Amino acid sequence: MKERDGLRLARRLALAPYGLWSLLFIVVPLGFVAYYAFTDNDFAFTTANIARFFTATSESDGVVTHTYLLIFWRSLKLAVISTLLCLLMGYPIAFILSRASARTQKILITLIMIPMWMNFLIRTYAWMTILQDTGILNSLLRALHLRPVHIIGTETAVIIGMVYDYFPYMILPIYSVMAKMDLKLEEAARDLGCDSFGVLRRVIFPLSLPGVISGITMVLIPSISTFYISQKLGNGKFYLIGDAIEGQYVANNLHFAAAIAFILMVILLIGMALMQRYANSRAAA
Amino acid sequence: MKPAAKVYTALIMLFLFAPIAILLVFSFNSAKSLSVMQGFSLYWYRELFRDAETLSTVRNTLILALAASAVSTVMGTAAAVGIFRLRSRALRAACDTVTNIPMINPDIITGISLMLMFVFVGRLFGAATSLNFWTMLIAHITFCLPYVILQVLPKLQQMDSSLPEAAMDLGCTPFRAFLKVEIPEIMPGIVTGAIMAFTLSLDDFVISYFTAGNGFQTLPIRIYNMTKKTVTPKMYALSTIIFFTILALLIMTNLIDTGPGVERRSRRTDDVAAAPAPEAPGRPRSRGHIAAFIGAILAVFIIGILIVGRPKKPVLNVYNWGEYISDGSEDSFDAIQGFEDWYLENYGHEVELNYTTFASNEDMYAKISSGAVSYDVIVPSDYMVARMRSEGLLLPLDYENIPNAANIGESFRGLYYDPDDAYSVPYTFNFTGIIYDANQVDEADTGDWELLWNPKYRGRLLQFNNPRDAFGTAQYRLGLDVNSEDPASWRAALDALKQQQPLIKSYVMDEVYNMMESGEAAACVYYAGDYFIMADAQAPGVDLRFYAPENTNYFVDAFCIPTCCQNKELAEAFINYMLEYEPAVANAEYICYGCPNRLVYEDETYADDMGEDAMAILYPGLDAFHERYEQTAFRNLPPDVLNMINSLWEELKIN
Repeated sequence: MKERDGLRLARRLALAPYGLWSLLFIVVPLGFVAYYAFTDNDFAFTTANIARFFTATSESDGVVTHTYLLIFWRSLKLAVISTLLCLLMGYPIAFILSRASARTQKILITLIMIPMWMNFLIRTYAWMTILQDTGILNSLLRALHLRPVHIIGTETAVIIGMVYDYFPYMILPIYSVMAKMDLKLEEAARDLGCDSFGVLRRVIFPLSLPGVISGITMVLIPSISTFYISQKLGNGKFYLIGDAIEGQYVANNLHFAAAIAFILMVILLIGMALMQRYANSRAAA
Repeated sequence: MKPAAKVYTALIMLFLFAPIAILLVFSFNSAKSLSVMQGFSLYWYRELFRDAETLSTVRNTLILALAASAVSTVMGTAAAVGIFRLRSRALRAACDTVTNIPMINPDIITGISLMLMFVFVGRLFGAATSLNFWTMLIAHITFCLPYVILQVLPKLQQMDSSLPEAAMDLGCTPFRAFLKVEIPEIMPGIVTGAIMAFTLSLDDFVISYFTAGNGFQTLPIRIYNMTKKTVTPKMYALSTIIFFTILALLIMTNLIDTGPGVERRSRRTDDVAAAPAPEAPGRPRSRGHIAAFIGAILAVFIIGILIVGRPKKPVLNVYNWGEYISDGSEDSFDAIQGFEDWYLENYGHEVELNYTTFASNEDMYAKISSGAVSYDVIVPSDYMVARMRSEGLLLPLDYENIPNAANIGESFRGLYYDPDDAYSVPYTFNFTGIIYDANQVDEADTGDWELLWNPKYRGRLLQFNNPRDAFGTAQYRLGLDVNSEDPASWRAALDALKQQQPLIKSYVMDEVYNMMESGEAAACVYYAGDYFIMADAQAPGVDLRFYAPENTNYFVDAFCIPTCCQNKELAEAFINYMLEYEPAVANAEYICYGCPNRLVYEDETYADDMGEDAMAILYPGLDAFHERYEQTAFRNLPPDVLNMINSLWEELKIN
C-alpha cells in the first residue's frame, strides 16, 4: 500500500506547477489591477480614480449625464441584447444538432467551428463590406428592387458583429449538454401526458440549464468588453466600456484604466456569482 | 431532420459563412479595395508571398500558439489529475475559483492585469525590456490553461475509478497504470483541450495587444495596426489560405477516420456545467481520427514555419506606423530587405531588421514610456517628438554616422519640435485636407472647412476618429488656436463638433478608404497623400477630388532613437540608409506623403511617377513651408490639458 501513498503524493505534486502558475499569473496580476486602481501616478493611495468613474459628468444641451455610468450602461445593454439573440438563435440549432444523426452532427459542428479559425478582426472587416450603405446587402436589395437599409453605424450593426463573433460560444456548450441528455426522460414525459412544449419546458430546458449558463457567460463577457467591433461596425459612434479602457491606456492614464477595469471586474464577478447561485438552486430543485 | 429544422440550419449556416464568402471573393479582387470588386486576379496572393513582414507575423503567431498550447496542455492535464484527487473541499473550491477567473474575466482585464504586473516587475529589476516573447507566451498559457483543465476534468469524472485499481491489482505499477489506463481514458479531453488552446491563442488579439513587446508581433496586432493606412485584400488572401488549409485538414482526417462511432456511456449530467466544451462531436471521436487531425495540423504548421522561418542575426528593432515603408508589396522596392543587403555590403556582416508597427503616436508612446519595450528606431510625429524629448526619452543623434542627413531640404531644418535637429531626422511631411466625391458634392460648397458642417450632406460626411485631428478641424474652422491651453477654447471646439455630430456618418481612420472609394460617403477630412491611394481605387461612378482649406494642420513624422535603444550605431546606419536615393524615393512613392529629402523632391523620375497634380498638392511652395508649418503644427500640450481633451472627446463620443 506504500506504493499507492506515493502515487497520492505524486498526484498532489502534479498540481503544484499549476498552483504556482495561477498564483503568479492569475491572482497576483489582479492584485496589480487593484493596486493601480487605488493609487495615483506616484503610487500614493487614492480613491480618486474610482470616484471619477462614478462622479464624472458631461453636459450636453443642458442635460447632465454621468459619463462612465452611461458608457457602462450602454455596453451592458448591447451585450445583453447580443447575448439574448445568441441564445434565441443558438438554442434551437443546438437542439436540432443534438437530435441529428451522428454524421450530420459531426459535419455541422465542424462547420460552426470553422469561422472561429479565421481572424476575428478580418471577419469584422468583412461585415463592414456587407453592411455598408453601398455594400453587398444593399446591392442585393437593390437588385431585388427592394428598399435599401441603413445598418452600418447603428446599434444593429454593432449587435450583428457581436452576435456573429460570439455565436459559436453559445451553441457549443448548450449542444454538448443536450447531446448527453437521456432520451428516455423525454419519452417518459410524453408517456405521462406532456405535449411537445411541456417536454421542452419541463424536461429539456431545465436539464440544459448548465449549458445555457455557460453559454451566456461565454458570450456576455467578451461582448461587454469588446472595443474593436464597436469601432469598426459602429462607425466610431459607439463608445463602450472597452473603448474607454483602451482609450485611457493609450492616453497613458494607466491608473484610471486600471480603475475602470477593476470596477468592471467586480461588477461581473458579482453578476456571475449570482447567476451561478441561481443555476445551482434550480439544479437542486 | 424535419424540413423546418433543415431550413433553420441552412439560415444559420448562411449567417456564419456570409462574411467568409465575402473575404474569399474579395481576395481575388484585381483592385486594392475591400468594397468594390473590379475583376478577378491572383495579384494579392502573389503580394502575400512577397510580404516577408506579414509572413513573419504569421510564423510568430504559429510559434506562439504551438508553444502556448503545448505547455498549457501538459500543465493543465497534470493540474486536472491533481484537482480530481483533492480531498479537501476548501482546496478544491479554491482551485475551481482560480481556474474560473480567466474565463469570467473579460480578456481586456486579463491583458491589462498581466501588463501592469510585467511592467511593474520589469521596472523593479531595472530590466531594459519587460515585455517580450516570453511575457506574451506566459499570457497565452495563462488564458489557455482553464480551457484544458475544464476539458480534462469531466473525463476523469466519467472514468470508472475501479479501472486503475484493477490494473494495479493485476500487477501494474501505479505509474504504469496511470500511463496505460488513465491517460488513454482521458485522451479525448486532453486533445480537445489542446485544440481549444491552440485556437484561442491563434485568434487572440486583446491580450496580445497589451502584453506584446519588442519586435515580436503577431498577425492580429499587425492587422490592427494597419489603421492609419488601409487593410488590403492581401489579408483576405491570407484568410482564404487559412480557410482552405483547415478545410483540407478536416476532410483529410475524416477520410482517415474509418473507425466506428464509439460507445456511448451514461454520464453525469453536471460534468459539463462549467465546461464550454466545443468537444467536437457529441459522441467521443475515435482516437485515430483525433491523432490524425493533430498530426496533420502539426505537420502543416511546422512546414509553414520552416518555409517562412529565417535564421537569427543581430537584430535592429524598428517601430513605425502601419503601412509606412516601401516593403516590396505591389511591385515596390523592398526597403527592409534593401537595408539588410546594404548593411552586409558596407559593414561586412549580416543584420536582421525587425520591423513592427503601431497604430497611433499615443499607442507608441504608451509602450515606450512604460519602459516595457526596447526599440532602436521610432517614427513619432512632431508634437510627440517634442513630448518625448522633453521627457528625456530620446537620445541625441551622432551625425557622423548619418552623413546623408545633408540631403534634408533647408525648409525642413530647425523645426519647432527640435530646433537644433539634435534628436530627429524628418521622414515625411503632409497636411490634412478634404477629399470629396464630385458626383455628390457641389463645387460651390467646396474650398473651406464649412463643407464638413454643411447640412446638405447630412449622414454622408466623415470625421477623424482621433481627438487631436478631429478637434483641429473645428478649431481651424473657428479660427481658434489648436495649441491653446485655455479650457474655454477647447469647449468651443467641442460645441462645434457636437453641432456637427448629426451630420457625421462615421468617425474613421483606415475605414475612410472603403467609404470614400465606394461612394459610401460624400466627403471626408484626411491626410492629403492618402487621397491619391483612394483615387486610384475609386469605384466607377465615384469621382474623388481634393482641396486644402486655407488653415490646416501640417505635420512632420521623424526618425528618432529612443533611450531604450540597444544598438545606437546600427540605428543610425538605418536612418542613414533610409535617406539614400533608392529607398527614399521608394518610400515617398509608396506612402504618397511629401518627402523632405532633396534627392527625392528634386528628382524628375519621382515627379513623373507621381504626376503633376500630385506634385502640386504635395509640395505647395516649399519656400513658405517653414513658416506655414510653424503656424499650424500641433504642439505638445501639458498633461492636464491632454487629459481634458481626452475627457471632452469621451463627452463627444457618448452622445
